[in-house]
Amino acid sequence: MVATVLALKFTTVRHQLQREWWRALLLIGGAVWSVTLVPMVWWAQVRLGFEAADVRASIVVLAAAVCIVGWIVVPLMVTGLEDTLDSARFATLGVSATQIAPGLTIAAFLTVPALFFGAMFTLLSGSWRYDGVGARAIAVVGGLLTVAVMVLAARVAVAWSARAINDRRTRGLLLLSMGVGIAVLGSVMWIGLRDGLEAGLEFTVPVVAESLARTPVGAGMYAPAAWVAGDTWGALWRLAMMVAMVVLLGWAWKDSIAHALVHPLHRGGGRRRRADAVLGGVGDGQERSPARWWHSSGPVRAVRARLLVSWATDARYVVAAAGVVALPVLFFAVAMPVLSLETRWAFVAPVLLASSIGWGRHNDVALDSSGLWLDIVSGARGREVMLGRMQATLVWALPAVLIAAVGILAWSGRWADAPGLIGAAVGTLGATMGVSAVCAVALPYRTAGPGENPFGAEVGSLGASFLAQLASAIATAAVLPLMTVPFFLSLTVHSGWGWVAFATGLVLGAVCFTWGARAAGSLFNHRSGKLIAAIT
Amino acid sequence: MSAADATEVVSHPAAMSLRGLTKRFGSTVAVAGVDLDIPTHSFYGVVGPNGAGKTTTLSMATGLLEPDSGQALIHGIDMWTQPALAKPLVGVLPDGLHTFDRLTGGELISYAGLMRGLPKATVRERRDDLLAALDLDAAGSTLVTDFSAGMTKKIALACALVHAPRVLVLDEPFEAVDPVSAGAIRRILQEFVASGGTVVMSSHVMALVERLCDHVAVVGGGAVLAAGTVADVSQGRDLEERFVELVGDVSDQRDLSWLRQSSR
Repeated sequence: MVATVLALKFTTVRHQLQREWWRALLLIGGAVWSVTLVPMVWWAQVRLGFEAADVRASIVVLAAAVCIVGWIVVPLMVTGLEDTLDSARFATLGVSATQIAPGLTIAAFLTVPALFFGAMFTLLSGSWRYDGVGARAIAVVGGLLTVAVMVLAARVAVAWSARAINDRRTRGLLLLSMGVGIAVLGSVMWIGLRDGLEAGLEFTVPVVAESLARTPVGAGMYAPAAWVAGDTWGALWRLAMMVAMVVLLGWAWKDSIAHALVHPLHRGGGRRRRADAVLGGVGDGQERSPARWWHSSGPVRAVRARLLVSWATDARYVVAAAGVVALPVLFFAVAMPVLSLETRWAFVAPVLLASSIGWGRHNDVALDSSGLWLDIVSGARGREVMLGRMQATLVWALPAVLIAAVGILAWSGRWADAPGLIGAAVGTLGATMGVSAVCAVALPYRTAGPGENPFGAEVGSLGASFLAQLASAIATAAVLPLMTVPFFLSLTVHSGWGWVAFATGLVLGAVCFTWGARAAGSLFNHRSGKLIAAIT
Repeated sequence: MSAADATEVVSHPAAMSLRGLTKRFGSTVAVAGVDLDIPTHSFYGVVGPNGAGKTTTLSMATGLLEPDSGQALIHGIDMWTQPALAKPLVGVLPDGLHTFDRLTGGELISYAGLMRGLPKATVRERRDDLLAALDLDAAGSTLVTDFSAGMTKKIALACALVHAPRVLVLDEPFEAVDPVSAGAIRRILQEFVASGGTVVMSSHVMALVERLCDHVAVVGGGAVLAAGTVADVSQGRDLEERFVELVGDVSDQRDLSWLRQSSR
């Protein structure tokens, strides 16, 4: 069965790559790029070889911890995890988890990232070459067990998260636990590095590394150091703990497969909604609201109402909304303490949040998958469709950005900078959303469809989306100075620039938002006959 | 639409005219120059084997897929150069595409109505009428993601009908639909045609086409093999027989002796 499952995987991948040859190029490009990192890792292990064993152990333990966090967080918040052999697809074949789990597990290890990390951690074991064959052998085993923990932990995290996010009872719990995790990580970084990077590296980091070395996160990497120190038992129990962890994760992974085989993806769960959310969000055309823009035409309001339902209930949208906090939190909780940046740098976080939200919408249209047909056949509705989509995002994005800005102002106590910060953050949101709207129509790429695993990804999909992501990132970077330079001047030259930043941010943000909706809408009409083929 | 345009629409003899439509996917020619005139006020069946190019042709005719070349005219209006005029004339039921499945059945109809520019009160009235007529009352408040295949088909049909189009283009409208609902759909479509509308319907079920349609086109290999009234195309024989003659029978009719229960 292992051979059958592996053959299925490679045949499927081959067909995918044959269908879209450029995916193969990008996959090969990724592999080549990985290979180019080998000299750097080689140099690192040579340098590490000259360090004292305890210093060397601390460094590799921390490196392993960062990699494990990355393996778990990146698929959940950024890329998704390659799921050519999504276990749910075996549900109709009448096979058991016991039959397919070994094949699926081996397949999980035969991916470019898993092979790359396996090779890198094996290479790193070379740093123990001067400590005898025993230490070297333990380093190899410990390193490979650590990679096994990474690969399996990522699978289990994605499987559990997909289950939780598709269940509205546990969705809130998942998001809450992600928030708590981020808060804990941030607090640890602040406490560990509050006295500066050097003091942190000298005192806190070794303590953290020593603690991690007693857990499955770093035990495998620390085992050779224990062996070298003459603590044979310390080396053995660490390796035994790693083996136990791999077995435990393997069991959890198999359990997830078994669950997927007998639980078709949870959809609406029989939920009913009596009130018509689409008609309810639409006036009767007689309103005298001053916000005529908001009470725009019926199609705009219909699209807005539909997308608001998606933002509230569709796992893919919920995951996207949760993912936007990653960059600003990393900056605020990790980069700032590590680089010992002064308080004013914290103002970057709300601007980063705004740009993350805006840039994150660069493939927005593709989330409708082939459901887009209803918008396309309804007429030349591009402008209404795009404006409605953007308004729905704005409903939660604008309050989120304002709350972040006010929160940072309260934290820093620099209320005098409020106009500039709010102008820069709101302007950035409007500008990046405008740019992304155009990208979403001009360069859409395939993504998880309705009802599919929001954390799933196809082979080469990261590379496939690279062009669109790069183009939208460059365009975003090009418009950002318009919003941020006046604010920067208010912090460095004269506080009066703050009000300039406020005015330019609000005006230019609104202009970019509106222009983006119009341009994207015209492009939508022009490309309507190509869009479904491009995103399915 | 201007008065002149409206007059043009009414007076044009063909509800849908396809001229030299072609579509290629990589090295595969899916549609190779389809020419077809579908008379106004007709119930037109489009039949063909799997992979014949029916869905691709209908997608190009309804604005969902851009043709490599050729024209799709709806009452004389080019779908691809004047989509804002052509699309309001057509109601579309595609096959095998997603729907906005986080909406309830009722909300999806409302959405389609609003996207067609109907006033809120009209949308509400037609939504309730369609839910009742298609036996979807209970499904009106259920999320589309929880619908069965047949219910999804019916709700998509309701979306195609909500703006009272002049031409209905339906890809496999009876697939997965139960007999009672199928009867209701048949009645709705027959009344639509009787009132002056035009239905273009693809199907694999010859008996259904013979029973409902007055015209039929047989499509194979991306081209129209025969088209005209059902009587003309079937040439006095059973339509299924004529269909097999036109598209060719299965070349390798292998005997699956291992499948027989008695051989165990």
